[in-house]
Amino acid sequence: MPRVQREANVTWEGNVARGSGAISAATGAFDSLPYSLATRVEKPDGKTSPEELLAAAHAACYAMSLAGELAGAGSPPEHLDVNATITLDQVEDGSHRIVASELLARARVKEMDQETLARLAQTASEGCPFTKLIDASATVTVTATLEGETDGD
Amino acid sequence: MATDRKAEVTWSGDLMSGAGRIDSVTSGAIGGLDVSWPARSEEPGGKTSPEELIAAAHATCFSMALSHGLGQAGNAPEELKTSATVTFQPGEGITKIALDVAGRVPGIDEAAFQEAAEQAKQNCPVSKALAGVPEISLSARLES
Repeated sequence: MPRVQREANVTWEGNVARGSGAISAATGAFDSLPYSLATRVEKPDGKTSPEELLAAAHAACYAMSLAGELAGAGSPPEHLDVNATITLDQVEDGSHRIVASELLARARVKEMDQETLARLAQTASEGCPFTKLIDASATVTVTATLEGETDGD
Repeated sequence: MATDRKAEVTWSGDLMSGAGRIDSVTSGAIGGLDVSWPARSEEPGGKTSPEELIAAAHATCFSMALSHGLGQAGNAPEELKTSATVTFQPGEGITKIALDVAGRVPGIDEAAFQEAAEQAKQNCPVSKALAGVPEISLSARLES
């Protein structure tokens, strides 16, 4: 397959503590999203952040990877709910690090048992390009449940 | 203090012909963004993708780190304009991220700006998290 390029453009004005900027996607899918340091590390106040964008990237990447694994096993999902939570933490030297990404998936899949889903869910994480990249610096965890079976709804 | 940011995505169907949506995020800043494999791996047709979101995250993180470094040296930027381009090779993964920054920074010379940009590239949390990318390139220039 040919290689794919995706671009985003951001601006920033001022110092880190009081300045602010805006984020735009080259595809036009989102445009002029404001960001700042205070809303990155404290309450978001309606503003996105690098970590939130990575959470969206990871959830979307993982949903596609899991759909691929399930389809490959003969059971394409009727519906997947995936969420990713990225944790930014201050480490010993005072700098910030992305320390974890937690993936949760709920799957509505015909003819699938929980054990098979759990195995495919793990394989899907390993096959997601984003998991591969952050694995070295952050802990990636995966929890997958069959919808309507384990959690009762 | 740890900070969590969450995103929720739904998906229906197989990878090639199915479709998904980034429904919501912690801040509420984005939502209802459609995603699909053809839009991710071929022409985007106005749809975002994991790679575009990574580009947005990296450009944002880099810009904040650079403003921090410049400000610590007493030269907070009037403006930074940063782009990040993520190269994705389906079947292989993310092979390159190219950062490009143009800065309007009073009281600094080209060499000091280059050095500050290099430090930001090395030290911003997203760069550290993405250290597994085979190549992260940087092009930086001062504008008057």
